[in-house]
Amino acid sequence: MLSVLIWLPIVGAAVLGFLPASVPAKTVRNGALAISGVVLLWTIWLFTQFNLSDSGFQFSEYLPWIETLGLNYELAMDGLALVLVGLNSFLTWIALLSSSETTDRPRLFYSMILLVSGGVAGAFLAQNLLLFFLFYELELVPFYLLISIWGGAKRGYAAIKFLIYTAISGALILAGFLGLVWLSGAKDFSYHSGMGQALPLELQLGLLVVLLIGFGIKIPLVPFHTWLPDTYVEASAPITILLGGILAKLGAYGVFRFGLGIFPEAWSKLAPALAIWAAVSILYGAMAAIAQKDIKRMVAYSSIGHMGYILLGAAALTPLALVGSISQMVAHGIILAILFHLVGVIEQKVGSRELDVLNGLLNPIRGLASISSLLILGAMASAGIPGLAGFVAEFLIFQGSYSVFPIPTLVGVVGTGLTAVYFVILLNRTCFGRLNTKTAYYPRVLFEERLPALILAGVIFFLGIQPSWLVKWSEATSTAMVAAVPTLDRVAIAPTSLTNAEVATPLAIED
Amino acid sequence: MTATLVSPSSTKLPPSNHEFAEIIHRLEAGGAMLPDTPENLMQIIGLYKAYAVPMDFYWRDLLYIAEQVFLNPLPFFKYFISQEYLDRQNHYAGDQADLRVWRGTGSAHPELLEFMQKGELKSKLPRLLHHWYHDRINMEFAEECMRAMLWHGRDMGMGQFDAYLDSEEYRQNADRAIKAYFKGNPVMMAMYKAFPDMFLEQVRQMSYYSNLGLFWEVMAPVFFEMSDLYDEGKIASVPDAMNFLVNGIFAIAGRPIYHHVYINGECYEIIPKSKGFMWLYEAALPYVEAVFYRTSPFRGTKSYNAQAGQVPAEQKDFHYGVLYADKFPVGTAGIPPTLLAQDMLHFLPPYLVEYYQQHCRGEDDMLVQLAVSFQRSMYCVTSAVIQALRTALLYPLDDPNPEHLMANRKFFEAQLDRFKRPEARLRDIQTPDYR
Repeated sequence: MLSVLIWLPIVGAAVLGFLPASVPAKTVRNGALAISGVVLLWTIWLFTQFNLSDSGFQFSEYLPWIETLGLNYELAMDGLALVLVGLNSFLTWIALLSSSETTDRPRLFYSMILLVSGGVAGAFLAQNLLLFFLFYELELVPFYLLISIWGGAKRGYAAIKFLIYTAISGALILAGFLGLVWLSGAKDFSYHSGMGQALPLELQLGLLVVLLIGFGIKIPLVPFHTWLPDTYVEASAPITILLGGILAKLGAYGVFRFGLGIFPEAWSKLAPALAIWAAVSILYGAMAAIAQKDIKRMVAYSSIGHMGYILLGAAALTPLALVGSISQMVAHGIILAILFHLVGVIEQKVGSRELDVLNGLLNPIRGLASISSLLILGAMASAGIPGLAGFVAEFLIFQGSYSVFPIPTLVGVVGTGLTAVYFVILLNRTCFGRLNTKTAYYPRVLFEERLPALILAGVIFFLGIQPSWLVKWSEATSTAMVAAVPTLDRVAIAPTSLTNAEVATPLAIED
Repeated sequence: MTATLVSPSSTKLPPSNHEFAEIIHRLEAGGAMLPDTPENLMQIIGLYKAYAVPMDFYWRDLLYIAEQVFLNPLPFFKYFISQEYLDRQNHYAGDQADLRVWRGTGSAHPELLEFMQKGELKSKLPRLLHHWYHDRINMEFAEECMRAMLWHGRDMGMGQFDAYLDSEEYRQNADRAIKAYFKGNPVMMAMYKAFPDMFLEQVRQMSYYSNLGLFWEVMAPVFFEMSDLYDEGKIASVPDAMNFLVNGIFAIAGRPIYHHVYINGECYEIIPKSKGFMWLYEAALPYVEAVFYRTSPFRGTKSYNAQAGQVPAEQKDFHYGVLYADKFPVGTAGIPPTLLAQDMLHFLPPYLVEYYQQHCRGEDDMLVQLAVSFQRSMYCVTSAVIQALRTALLYPLDDPNPEHLMANRKFFEAQLDRFKRPEARLRDIQTPDYR
């Protein structure tokens, strides 16, 4: 069942890639949308089949592959993988919808996007460390091409920078995996939660740090973030949606699954440092965003800050904070997608992303009134206004982490305040004020250009007022992950030993 | 009437050093502030026509309010004009005209009557539903113009009309009308006793309703006739259009401005015709100054911060009129320029609809495009006023005396000084790219 999520996009990518050149771009786009739409429907079906009370892995698939290497085709999903697979399928479809109907070299473009989608789904589902690594590296080349061919003016520079950083990230992760398997003497690379527990604590800490840096580059966390602003700014809107919405989550997923999941004990030792690291990222992202003059760069820096919340929740190690973190991955993905899409439309229509040039876009007839209104909504969601998806996730994180790390949590709260600051700057300059009568002859916004944002806005609203649809998928999994962390008087409890009653009252386990 | 005002002055005077030297030379040669291009001509004439139809409603309803609704404390139906006022014969159109400016009908324009029946919904709903849906002629714009004249009137110090509103004679006339109007209404009579000035001020406002109504009664047929002449090919350039306006201004200058109120069938002359107030000095010139130049910062287009000095302390420094206005916010709910643009949109001639569809966002931003054309057309009207003032106060453009020509130039330069302000649109309308 899970293989469909991986292979349908990859086969689809191959088919689109080998279409004759005479096929018009619009047809290729529709083909990609159809394939991605089927994947999305399949994902929705998986959601309906998912057993919410089971905290373990479901829908397992196993196929022996290269057994001498310990590399087998092993797939499964738990609550964490489920929501991220859902996010991946949804945002891939949105990114395709957000792409221009007249993209150059459409066959390559759309097949690369589908390839990325399949690769990312594979990484979320892989239950074998080497298989994860393969999928993790698989998206590298397509992304490099997507940035370097369809990007902005400095796309070559941005793409190479992205490539180098991600390659180093991959090398560190591979080193971490190899070290883990060799040192623990495991027979193969199959993933088991708590599989690093048997190692001495120092070794655990060492391997965890290697993995944290590897995934920290991908998320990215300060100070490994310097590739992000250039890459996000130079990539076209649909690619930025994929980068910020999905690829960053792959890093966060790696931290959860392979950091916290494999080394729970070392994780709990590092947790205070991680919380401080998260707080630094949050503040740095927000401050840097305030200083920007380019709205896309501003949104890119906001992403760094918001990914910090995810780490904060993970460091706190309470079920509530962990659920919050996983929810934040989804909420941030959707909110970032709407922001990048809208910024992309503004850039395309106005021809500028400069705060000093943009003005008065809320003008009802000559401006981009609908796009500006949606931008205000997206900014409100990002700043954590209640009733929108961002609030739910951030509130859960703060609620769950305050008892453990009060100071970093308060710094995080200040960070949401700063989010409001830079978004007010952005909205005030971009949407309000007067249009310049000398320059403001922008083309009209078509319905197709509004559609992705309208869908995303609908989801943001829905998850904001119906938060259980955001959090219920990962509750059992995150409770089990927390339970697996050895505390002073308790050594690892197998996740399967949890009863439904414990799942239903996750806070009870906190002490 | 082509080229009647062309002057050889450019050969007799050295070139002007004014910022708008090119425009001043054009005015000296008998041209307008608006460049003479077929595109400009088409826009301004099309807009005159689109403006004249709602204007035909404006003047009738303004007079209806001034003469019939008067001091009704709850004037819910003041925009529901009576049939009598729709049938009322324009003094400058139709068979019964005093001076037939327009060859068409003297009662309400057929397009206006059709629109009043069906609205843009094209369905015969009860009038009240059309009204609530704003599917109607929006009198709010006309009232905004009236208020601009009322509010700036005292400060402008033009003519005798506004000064008369403060006279004892006016006070007595108003008092008689107020007492007659509220006869048998002890509540309102008590109110009048308690707050006589408030009622007097309301009557002054009614007098301005009448003033503006009488002004526009003239302008509607002038614009209709210009549109017809353009369709017949008899107005072929922007100076032609301007000269028609100049001639019109002089032909009608003496039309009396008065205020009569009808209470129970009896006529109360609050401002009698015998006062001799003339259309040109008591209505046209104050109107141009108050509405084209000054007005007030329209609600909704911009928030002005008076504490930050964004609103001038002196009323004479107000420059928010159509010659200065930012037309891009047109479309914003509730602002009078939007309501006017909405009114004109219903009556655009087909050639302008087609023209707008080819530019900018076509159908989507027609409201802004026509508002910009309207601005161009008002620059043509203002040019006519400037030329008319020059004719009345100074010398012909082909005067052989260089000193006279220099006096003319000084006059033009002084007029154009008012457009040196950064927000003035005179620079913009020189190019076709401003639309």
